[in-house]
Amino acid sequence: MASLITCPHCGVRPKEEFSIRGDAVPVRPAPNASDETWNRYVFVRDNPKGVIREYWHHVSGCRRYLVVERDNVSHAVLSVTDATVAGRAGQKEGVR
Amino acid sequence: MTISFAHRHVLEDHIIGFEMKPNAHHLSVSRRPTIVTVLAHAEAEEDVQLALDLLEDVSIRSCGPCEWLAVSQSSSPEALLRLLRAIPGSSAFDQSDGRVLMQISGPDVRRILAKCVGIDLHADVFAVGASGNMLIAHVAGNLARSGPDSFEIIVPRSYAGTVFEELKEMGREFALTAAFG
Ligand SMILES: [Zn+2]
Repeated sequence: MASLITCPHCGVRPKEEFSIRGDAVPVRPAPNASDETWNRYVFVRDNPKGVIREYWHHVSGCRRYLVVERDNVSHAVLSVTDATVAGRAGQKEGVR
Repeated sequence: MTISFAHRHVLEDHIIGFEMKPNAHHLSVSRRPTIVTVLAHAEAEEDVQLALDLLEDVSIRSCGPCEWLAVSQSSSPEALLRLLRAIPGSSAFDQSDGRVLMQISGPDVRRILAKCVGIDLHADVFAVGASGNMLIAHVAGNLARSGPDSFEIIVPRSYAGTVFEELKEMGREFALTAAFG
């Protein structure tokens, strides 16, 4: 696994300072979405090989949620963004 | 009946009875520092940062976006809170009783700390005045560089004992001494 994560706020940090909080790809459905949509959002996960996007919580550092894009085959870390920034960018692109 | 509380430092039992003359490598524990958390409200981070930098006799440690620790050895928590709460767009809370402040120094201090923290402490990366939250001996704390060969550590009170013992152990090869200072 990637052993060094460059936090946008704290700089290069060891992975021990973080807690992985799961897949960052699913987008929260509207409150009145169908049960099937909610079921998919809450329980159904892909298990892709290659580039993945996850939430990493910098628990022992700045305590911000980050979105880490990494390759689970080569272990390369491709990008690290604050989750707030990533969320705003997603909204602009009209992911919802 | 009136009850009077006697202030007792959490590291009292770790230090008393073992006091000696400080060596070149020394760990000094502050008896009663004033430590205050400062938070900036949304959109106010830059203004609060500027105001904090103007304060005299107060050392500012960064903890992450919109959050700092203000440390003072001279003013009381009440006085510092009054000063900080006057800054528009900020909130301040006293942490003095909940945190422990230690200074570690010596020519090989980086080699001692390299065994306790996971970040690069070379002066090109972590210059004098730099600070940040990080794992220090497996405890989430704040590390600041106060000089070329000196660092200051702030950890939660309940973890101070384990961090203190760990630092002493890591400093043994350099004959690290410890005392209240
Ligand atoms: Zn961070």
